[in-house]
Parts: sequence; C-alpha cells; structure tokens
Amino acid sequence: MDVNGHNIRKEFPVLGREVYGKRFVYFDNAATSQKPTGVLELHDRIYRESNANIHRAVHRLSAEATDLYEKGRSAVAEFINAQPDGCVIITSGATASFNLLAHSFVQRFVGNGDKILVSEAEHHSNLVPWQLACERVGAELVAIPIEESGEISLDKFESLLDSRVKLVSVAQVSNVLGIVNPIKEMVALAHAKGIPVAVDGAQGVVHSDCDVAELGCDFYIFSGHKIYAPAGTGILYGKRALLEEMPPFFGGGDMVGTVTFEKTTYAPLPLKFEAGTPNFPAAACYAPALEFADAVRKNAALRAEERCIMMFLVERLLKIDGLHIAGLPKDMEKKVPVISFSVEGAHPEDMALILDKMGIAVRSGLMCAEPLVRKYSENGLLRISLLPYNTMDEAEYFLECLDRTLKMLG
Amino acid sequence: MSDIKRPEELAEDVVEEFSVFDEWLDKYEYLIELGKSLPIIDEKEKTDDRLISGCQSRVWLACEYRDGRVWFTADSDAIITKGIISLLIRVYNGQKPEDIVNSDFSFIEKIGLRENLSPTRANGLVSMIARIKEYAASYDKPAAKAPLKEDVVHALKTVFDPEIPVDIYELGLIYEININGSDIAIKMTLTAPNCPIADDVVAQVYEAVRSVPNAGNVKVDLVFEPEWTPSLMSDEAKLALNMFD
Repeated sequence: MDVNGHNIRKEFPVLGREVYGKRFVYFDNAATSQKPTGVLELHDRIYRESNANIHRAVHRLSAEATDLYEKGRSAVAEFINAQPDGCVIITSGATASFNLLAHSFVQRFVGNGDKILVSEAEHHSNLVPWQLACERVGAELVAIPIEESGEISLDKFESLLDSRVKLVSVAQVSNVLGIVNPIKEMVALAHAKGIPVAVDGAQGVVHSDCDVAELGCDFYIFSGHKIYAPAGTGILYGKRALLEEMPPFFGGGDMVGTVTFEKTTYAPLPLKFEAGTPNFPAAACYAPALEFADAVRKNAALRAEERCIMMFLVERLLKIDGLHIAGLPKDMEKKVPVISFSVEGAHPEDMALILDKMGIAVRSGLMCAEPLVRKYSENGLLRISLLPYNTMDEAEYFLECLDRTLKMLG
Repeated sequence: MSDIKRPEELAEDVVEEFSVFDEWLDKYEYLIELGKSLPIIDEKEKTDDRLISGCQSRVWLACEYRDGRVWFTADSDAIITKGIISLLIRVYNGQKPEDIVNSDFSFIEKIGLRENLSPTRANGLVSMIARIKEYAASYDKPAAKAPLKEDVVHALKTVFDPEIPVDIYELGLIYEININGSDIAIKMTLTAPNCPIADDVVAQVYEAVRSVPNAGNVKVDLVFEPEWTPSLMSDEAKLALNMFD
C-alpha cells in the first residue's frame, strides 16, 4: 500500500475510468468513498475461500469467517481508540445504528415530557429515528440552533441543557456544512449535568479526530462505506454501562442466551444487538479499510495537500458572482473538504446534470438534511466533497467546468 | 383539432431534432433554450395541489380536459427539467386521452435523456409523467369511468322539497343533467323564486351528486327561467299529492 503523492490513486481502480468519454472526477465522497484494492481483494477472497455463517457452526470455514469478522471489529476498536468500558456493535450502517440507539435508549431512559437534543444541522438519520422514538413515549425533540456561519454556539447549547434533557445527539461534522463541531466541549458541558452524548461520526470519522476516549462521548456512530469499507456495515460504539441496560432492538438469531416460549435471555454485548446474519464479508473489510485510513491520517504531507486543495477551492469559489458557501467558520481550521454552495440564478440540479456530462460527480439537492439546507437555499445546494485521493489538478478542472456550466445557465 | 399531429409523429420530430447533437452539452444548451421559452405558470397558480415534489427539482403541472382532449401547462424551478417538460407538452398537449394513455414516452429515452427520468434522479419529472398519464386515464373510455345518469337521478331523488313530501326530481325541479367526462352539471329550479332555504336545497343537491360513483367536479346552477309549474311534476308525484282526484 502506497499513499504517497499520486500513488494513492493507484490504490483505487475506479478512479482510472472515464465517463461519457471524459476523465472521471469523483467529488461525491461524502456520499460514499471509493474502495482501495486491499478492501476489494479481501471482500473477494472471503466469498471465494472462507464463506460460511459466523458465530454458529463448529466447522473450519465458519471459524475462519468468524475470525475475519471479529478482526474487522478489532480494527474499528483500534481506529477509534475504544476503551475497555466501551463496546463496538456492528450494524448495517449509520442509519441502522441510530435507529437502534433511538429505539433502545428511549425505551429505557426517556419518558413523557423528557427531551432529546439534536442540532439544526443533522442528517435525517440523526433526526427521524428520534422523532419516531420521541413520539412513542411523548418526549420532545429539541434542535440546537446553529449560527449563520454554520457553527454551534456553546452558550446557546448550554442554555438548552435542562433537567428534562436525557440525551444529546449531534453530528461531529455536518454532511452539508463540513464544519467540525466542538464535541469535546459539548460533552463536558452535557456531562456536567449528567447528560450522555451520542455523536454522529459519519463524516467526522473520515475528516476529523475520532478518538472516542479523547472526545469523551457515550456513543459514536458511523458508516463503513464512507471510510473505504464496503456498503452495508456500520458501527455503534457505546459505553457498556448504558448498553447493558438498553433492551435489544432486533430479536432473532445469535442475540440470545436461552430461548423458551415463556422467556428469552439475551447474549452478552455486543451480540445482544447483532441479531441475524450480519454482512460479515463487508464488516471483515474494516481491517484493510481502516488500515488504509490510518495510513492516510498519519501522512502529514497528504493531509497538508488536501487542506491546500480545499482552501484553493473555497477561495476561488468565493470569487464567483452570486455564489454563497453554506458554512464558513471564521477559523478555517474547523472546515473539512465538504463544501456546499448555491449560485443565484442557477438551480443545483441543473449544475449537477451539466457537470456530470463533463465527467464530474457532485451531489445536489437537500442532501438528507432538509431543515438545514432549506435554511440556506430554497432550491437546495450543490456539494463537493473530497478525499485525499483527489488532486489539485481535479480541483482546477472542476472550477473550469463550473465556470462553463454557469455560463450555460446564465 | 385535425391539425394536431398524433403523439408518435410529434415524438418522431423531437427525436429527429435531437439527432443533430453529438455532444451532450449541445443537447443541454438546446434544452435550456427550450426551457426558457416555455410559457410559465403564473406564480399565483403554483399551488400545492399542482406541485409535484422531487428531492431536487420541483414541477408544477396543471391539467385541463376540454373538447375531448387533454391540455397541460407546467413549470419547474430547474431549467433542464423545464426544457424536458416543454418537449412533453409539445408532444402531448391537446391529445386525446387514449393516445396519451397508450403512449410509452420512449422518445425521452431515444433522445438520450433516460437518466433524467430514472427514479434515482428523484426529480419531479417521473412523477410528472405519471400524473399526466393518470389524468388522461381518468378521461379515457368515458363509458366505463364516467358517472351514470341513473346514479345521478338516484342521488337527486334523495333530496326532498321542504314543504312537499315529494323528491325534487319527481317534482320536476331538475331541468338538466349534463355529464362531461367525470364532471356533472345540474341545472335546477325551485317551486318559488323567493324560497327562504334555497341555499340549503342547493347545498343538499351538491352533496348528493358529489357522492355519485366516479363523480368529478359538480356544478349546481339555480335558475328561475323557465318558471316552474305543477305541470312539470311526474305522474308519480301528482299521484302522491292526490292531484288526479
């Protein structure tokens, strides 16, 4: 594996392809990342050589598959610096993790008149499951307002922490704004009042520090596919003390102790929350995926180059007439290469369609964060999101194409 | 109306027009031009019932059924979608319901815009086509889908004159029943022009007719010309009121 300079691109076969006879520029990484060869090879090898259901049978292949699956879990634990008082639960994705958490946490800890605190800048996955759960018990979902810059004001946050708040659930980095929230400070404020904190790390795990011991949060959630692993696997990391008390979400195979028709006892953590056959080949790929991600995050030159490309894009975009970036913090150190913007007189869908025909993949629309996006633009936004395999050359090409696009729409 | 070409002929024209474009961007340039020339829906008429919401672009569609044909006006906030809408309108505006229902809309695919219609694009266009077809279907084969006159009469017979124990149909208060597609228009009178509960009777008629199977828009016109006379009553009504003595 070589992540230095342009060699990093060689790890991703798909980056070499063309679309519509043009070079392919992938700027939709916040939706899903491309996969490095280490991941592709392991996934392929499991189905070719070690495919058997995990945790169940005594035969050789089942043991191999179980071992690979558990290595995936260990890789996650290591990557996020999971602590002995915490537990890594493997789900089918961040959305599934939030549904599990919302259902089981609310059932155990939240009652009529209580509150769950989210922010205005949440992905629907950290919003709708809470709405559903709150509705069931008569609790209230309260949104922390965000500033015009896209940042969370700690003062406003603190003022919302009253005795009825049973949990804070916020994004570490919004999938629209690309701004790193002050999670550590928020956790300290919440914990001072005895309120646990869940963190949506779907973007944060890719672009920010995801050391759960450092962050101090009680739950940390992310999807594998955004950080180089295959689709269909996600993580719910949680403090054991809370998880032990929470009832299971799904019932079924592998999550039980003993089953009789009168009473079922549950398996110990994490299996209590892992009913049914998980996507074990995908979960096993956490090992090579996070090995790659770790090499990237430790490579200072690569990170500096990524920051340089982002700053170049932001500077150049701001020079375009009528273009507004949603989420510009005063301190640009807080910004990650997820840049959403609107352009007066140009619909994001039109821009995305034209850019697509120039070979550039971007995201347009409401980005599964409708309350937030509507705050900035009625018609939605256009988002570009980068990973370290994107290059300055691609950024320049994108700006040329955007210029041409806006002329066509003007 | 004979000067309107059939949808498949119009679709052919569009396909031929687009065949000159080798480059995607030229195609889009042209769609943008078409989009700009599309007569837009008045802001006032962009009501929620006409809104076809997609995840990205929004489309407003107003349909009208007139003289056996279906007429559309539409608008979108995204210009390329608007360009495609203008093609749809060009091909399907003023066509017979059955021709729209039987059309497969494949010309959109032939001019290379299939992906704009794929459900994953989540724009309003796919829903717009569904709405056009649905609207046309509601006027297709009127015999099967239209409300039946006997059902309307049956409904009218449930409304009684407040002073006479005979229903308004037998009394001869109903002058006309017009069924056009699913729409029903009633022309009726009352026994006296100064009837104090005229509004009440009209409201009862309106509600009764609306409940008829397949009823669309219902209109009730109250007229006093020609004036009602007892001679308009049916024999049954006269019998009920002992008028043959």
